[in-house]
Amino acid sequence: MIDDFKLKEVISNVLGIPTVEINNDSSPDSIEKWDSLSHLKLVMAIESEFNVELSPEDSMDMLSVKLIRIILQDALKK
Amino acid sequence: MVKDTVGQLLTEIIKTPSDYSRVSREIEKDDLLDKINISYLSSYTSEILNPFIIVELAKKGYKGSIYYAPFNQFEQEIHNEDSGLYLSDPSVVLIHSRIEDTHPDLIKRFAKYSDSELTNLSDEIIQRHKLMLEDLRRKSDAKIIVINFGSSQMIEEYFDSSPVVQSQQIYFQKLNNSLLDLCNKIISCYVIDYHKFFTGLGLDNCSDPKLFYMARIPFNSSSQITFGKIIARMIYVIFRVPAKCIVLDLDNTLWGGVVGEDGISGIQLSDEYPGNIFKAFQRAILGLRDQGVILSIASKNNIDDVLEVFEKHTDCLLKKSDFSSMQIHWENKASSIEKISKELNIGLDSIVFFDDNPAERDWVRAQLPDVKVVEVPKNPINYLKALHESKFFDSLIMTNEDRVRADIYQQEQQRKSDLFNSVSVDDFLRELKMKIKIGFSDDITITRIEQLLNKTNQFNLTTKRYSSSDIIKIISDGGKVLWLSSADRYGDNGIVGVAILIEIKHKIWIIDSMLLSCRVIGRKIETAFLAEIVEILKSESAYELYGQYLPTKKNHIVSDFYKKHSFKLTDKKNNFWKLNLNESDIIKPIFIQVSRND
Repeated sequence: MIDDFKLKEVISNVLGIPTVEINNDSSPDSIEKWDSLSHLKLVMAIESEFNVELSPEDSMDMLSVKLIRIILQDALKK
Repeated sequence: MVKDTVGQLLTEIIKTPSDYSRVSREIEKDDLLDKINISYLSSYTSEILNPFIIVELAKKGYKGSIYYAPFNQFEQEIHNEDSGLYLSDPSVVLIHSRIEDTHPDLIKRFAKYSDSELTNLSDEIIQRHKLMLEDLRRKSDAKIIVINFGSSQMIEEYFDSSPVVQSQQIYFQKLNNSLLDLCNKIISCYVIDYHKFFTGLGLDNCSDPKLFYMARIPFNSSSQITFGKIIARMIYVIFRVPAKCIVLDLDNTLWGGVVGEDGISGIQLSDEYPGNIFKAFQRAILGLRDQGVILSIASKNNIDDVLEVFEKHTDCLLKKSDFSSMQIHWENKASSIEKISKELNIGLDSIVFFDDNPAERDWVRAQLPDVKVVEVPKNPINYLKALHESKFFDSLIMTNEDRVRADIYQQEQQRKSDLFNSVSVDDFLRELKMKIKIGFSDDITITRIEQLLNKTNQFNLTTKRYSSSDIIKIISDGGKVLWLSSADRYGDNGIVGVAILIEIKHKIWIIDSMLLSCRVIGRKIETAFLAEIVEILKSESAYELYGQYLPTKKNHIVSDFYKKHSFKLTDKKNNFWKLNLNESDIIKPIFIQVSRND
C-alpha cells in the first residue's frame, strides 16, 4: 500500500498548498499551482520519494491524486 | 548564517526534490538573508532548477530571486532594454546556450561536417556569444556567468576511442577555450565548466530521457541538485572576499609525529607511506602560496628544533623563507594569530587556521570568532580534502598582485626588521629608495583597482565600494580614476593605491575616493600621491579641491589626513575639507621618485 500521508506531503511540498486542501479528486483543474512545470517537479519528487521510475506515459497520465495513486501502485509492483 | 527558522531548516538534511521544494518555499518568506536578483537565460527549461538554486544560495546566506527568460530568447532579452532581463534588475546574469539545442547535428552527426564547415560553425557560435556578452556588458552592471559547452549526448559511437569521437571531443575543447578567452576579455564575466560537470558525473548519471523529450530538461533530478550547487557556489565566490593567509600548526600537520620528541630523523616526512601524505600536503600548501596566499606558523615548539627541520630535512618542501610570520613558542595560539594579524597588517577575518589539535581549534574559535577555522579530520590522508572543502580560498580573480603577494609580505617582514635597526624613520624611508608611478585606469589595471576599492579598509578615506562597471561609468561621466604603483629596494609592490576624482562644479573637484594598500602605509606615499593629484588638476586649471573623510571602524588611521595636508574643514557635520589650489601646494617627499605612466 502507498503511504497516503507521504504522498500528500510530497504534493503539498511541490505545489505549496497545505495537505488538508489535497483530496482524491485534486487535479490541475482544481489546483491553480498545478501547472505543467509543477507537474514535472511532482513526477521527479514522486520518483525520488518512492524510489520508482515512471514512464513518460505514466508521467503524463497522473493528472489527479487518484490517478497518481493508481499509477504509482502499479509501478511499485513492477 | 541566519538564526531563525530558515537557518534551522537549512541545517536539516535536504536531499530530495520534495525537500528542496518545501525549504525553498520557506526561504521565500524569509527577510534576513541578503537579497540577490538573478536572471537566467537558457536554451532549455531552466526554471526546473529554481528550488535547488534557491536552497543552495540560502546555505551561502543569499535569498535569490530568479527571473527565467522564455527559452531561447537570448538576443531578444539582451538587445532590448525593456526586456524582462533588465526589468528584473539583476546582479547576476546566467547564460546557458546548449549546443544540443542550437546545433543538434554537431552532437549527433559530427562526422558529416568538413573541417572548414566546423571552423565556420565554431566562429559563428563564438561570434554570437561575443555580440551578446558585449551588449549585455554595455547595458548592465551585473556579473555575468556563462555556462560552457558540454553534452550529455555526444555522437552515438560504440567505441570511445574512435577517431571521430576523439576529434569531436577536441572540437568541443577548442570551442570551450575560445569561449573562455572571450569571457576573460569581458569585465566581470565568469565561466562555469559545464563540460567538466557532465564528464565528472558520467553521462548515464546525468540525463533522464523522459524529462528531456517531455520538457527539454537536459538533466535528471540528482544532477539538477548538483548543478544548483555549482551555480550557488559560483555566485557566492563572485561576491565574497577570499581569505588571505593560512596559519599552520607543525607537528602532525606539516609532518607526522612531534619533532621535539621524535627528533628530525623520527618525524614522518618522505616519499613513502605515511610520510608521503605530509609531503603531498606541503606541496599543496606551496600551491596556495603560488596563488598568493600568505603562509604563517603558529606552533608550540622549540624554535631550534623547527628550524633544523626546515634547513636540513631533505623532504621538507616548505622552507623558512616561505613563511611570512612564524610564531613558534609556548604562548597560546589565539595570541599567536593576533600577532600574525598585526605583523602582516591583515584582518582576523582573512585568516584561516589549520591545526590537527581540536583543543587548539576550539580555543581559537572561542577567543577569535572572526578567524576561519578548518575542521581538520583525524586522519591526515583527509587533510587536503578538508582544506579544499572548506572553500576558504575559493577565488575567481587572481591578479598579478595576488601572485606576488606572498613575496611582498615577506619583503615587508624584512623591511620591518630593518625599521628597528635604522636610525630614524626618515633615514629608513630614504634608504628604501621608493619609486612610485601614477596612471589612469585602463583595461589592464581596472581589475586590480576594483579589487583594492572593495577590500581596502584601513587607509581608505571614504570606503566607497565600486565595481568595474561603476568605474567605467565614472570615467565616462568625466571623472578621473588614478592608480598608483610602488617599488622599492626590496621589490615591486604592484598597484597599491587608487584615487577617484570628480568635477562637482566647473573647475572644482572632489576626491571621491582615495586609498592605499596596508602594505605601504607609513611611508609618505600618500603625500606624494596627493601632490600628484593636485598637479594633475592644476594642469586642467582647477582652483578648488575638496576631500571628505567618512569614518568607519577600521579607517581611523586617515582621520587627520586632510588636516595634515593643510586642507581647511568646511563642513564639520559631513567632514568635508577644502584646499585652495591657487594658494597652497603639497610638498612632495624628496625621497620618493615619482613618474607618470603616459
